[in-house]
Amino acid sequence: MTFSFGLGLRTQHYHDFLEKSQPVDWLEVISDNYMVDGGKPLVMLDKIRADYPMVMHGVSMSIGAIKGVDPEYLRKLKKLEQRIQPMWLSDHLCWTGVHGRNLHDLLPLPFSEEALQVVTRNVNQVQEYLQRPLVLENVSSYVEFQESEMTEWEFLTEVCQRTGCQLLLDINNIYVSSFNHGFDASEFINGVPVGSVKQFHLAGHQNNGDHIIDTHDHPVCKDVWTLYKEALQRFGFIPTMIERDDNIPELEELLAELGQARTIADEVFSQKVAV
Amino acid sequence: MSLATLQNDFQSLVLDPECRSADWVADSKHGLGSKQRLAIYHNAYRIRLTEVLRDTFEHTASYIGDEWFERLAGSYVQANTSEHSNIGLYGQAFPEHLAQVLKHDQEVAELAHLDWTLRRAFDGSNADVITREALEKLAAEGVSIEKFSPVPTLKLCLHHFNTLDIWHAINQEEVPPQVVALDEPMHVMTWRKGYSPHFRSVSAVEYAAINYLCEGCDLEAIGEALSLGFPGADIVNEFGLMIARWLDDEILTA
Repeated sequence: MTFSFGLGLRTQHYHDFLEKSQPVDWLEVISDNYMVDGGKPLVMLDKIRADYPMVMHGVSMSIGAIKGVDPEYLRKLKKLEQRIQPMWLSDHLCWTGVHGRNLHDLLPLPFSEEALQVVTRNVNQVQEYLQRPLVLENVSSYVEFQESEMTEWEFLTEVCQRTGCQLLLDINNIYVSSFNHGFDASEFINGVPVGSVKQFHLAGHQNNGDHIIDTHDHPVCKDVWTLYKEALQRFGFIPTMIERDDNIPELEELLAELGQARTIADEVFSQKVAV
Repeated sequence: MSLATLQNDFQSLVLDPECRSADWVADSKHGLGSKQRLAIYHNAYRIRLTEVLRDTFEHTASYIGDEWFERLAGSYVQANTSEHSNIGLYGQAFPEHLAQVLKHDQEVAELAHLDWTLRRAFDGSNADVITREALEKLAAEGVSIEKFSPVPTLKLCLHHFNTLDIWHAINQEEVPPQVVALDEPMHVMTWRKGYSPHFRSVSAVEYAAINYLCEGCDLEAIGEALSLGFPGADIVNEFGLMIARWLDDEILTA
């Protein structure tokens, strides 16, 4: 397992990455931001890619859509994948719209056998087309469905077993959903099979007292760090990154936050070695 | 309830003007009630699309102010769903929406159209631009180019107001001038030079020449057509200067 730490590449930090070598092992790029015809985004991408390994992370695949994944979206994604040659490629276990519409949100699925069959069909189609395993991220959610027949972690486990895909566990999303729905976040962590996780996301949120919104505009909170430690203890050293999408600070601040992740991982690792 | 029905109903709920409750949501034992939970998705949809409009139409938003922009964006979001995976393309019909809604303030739609074309030029298709140096080198090698194509980001439009002055003032964080209706409509060209979107006004002769260029005419045919269309003009001289400027502007490809 690669023991490595990355950051999400954001336009505000292009200059920092071009100016000098930064202490990150890889960068995660939002695929959709670079599925464009040309211009500065692709030039910057190519320049930075020359110096850093990359992983791709999408927001619009809509892997849970009943109608299936849009072939045109897949074509553009593959073109970008061939350009970047990422270490792995991820999107979210969600749906974003139906009937040709896109709500530009990561909408939750019911954890039902029917949804499993739809996701399995779609993941198989994508993996066949891209000729590589897909990595899927658990999303934060604010509703649960009458139709759900299993827990989220049971659903994730089934998707992995049926398709061979892997998981991007967003530790913050586990925390947010556990708070919003009243389940035990540790039970989630312990319910996901060891060996199925490819990457961790760490992010911040907005706590409104009786619910949490997954805003990605704050530093990682103490409870999420604690959960990260639990996840490391269960899954081992999984590539980890800080994900900030709004209220984006100077790169130094994110590097310091990433340093905190390194420190926690070092602690867990040294304890494991000591044992 | 089937997944298809659930996704259809969830989407309708998000798109409807008023958020409602839904019987497919599980009773919450914790925190918010089900309608408040659905309202998070309902609100987030509107906030997200309004944000992308504000980002795309930055100068328009500055010109009309936050409150007015928010209201106009809100009416656009309610009337127009997104059919693109790229959220940046959502504002395509926003200038037209403004033209419909603000019949007595048509400069706002014109400004929005300028914002839109400049944004699209930013990440539009690349092309191998012919520079003056490259052309001179080819000439020295005895190679002559008889036909050029415009770069794919090049667009032409017609302005009826002093929109370019308004855009420039906003861009320099200055107070924009009073809107003035132009005596004659002005042709405007937008394109990308290097990494940056550009625009400038073009004369009637240049507008015609660029149109011929876009239609695929070679240089000789363009010169002939201009001579016929503008009999009083010194086309030989004017067309030569035009090509030199196009090379400097980097709008020509072979």
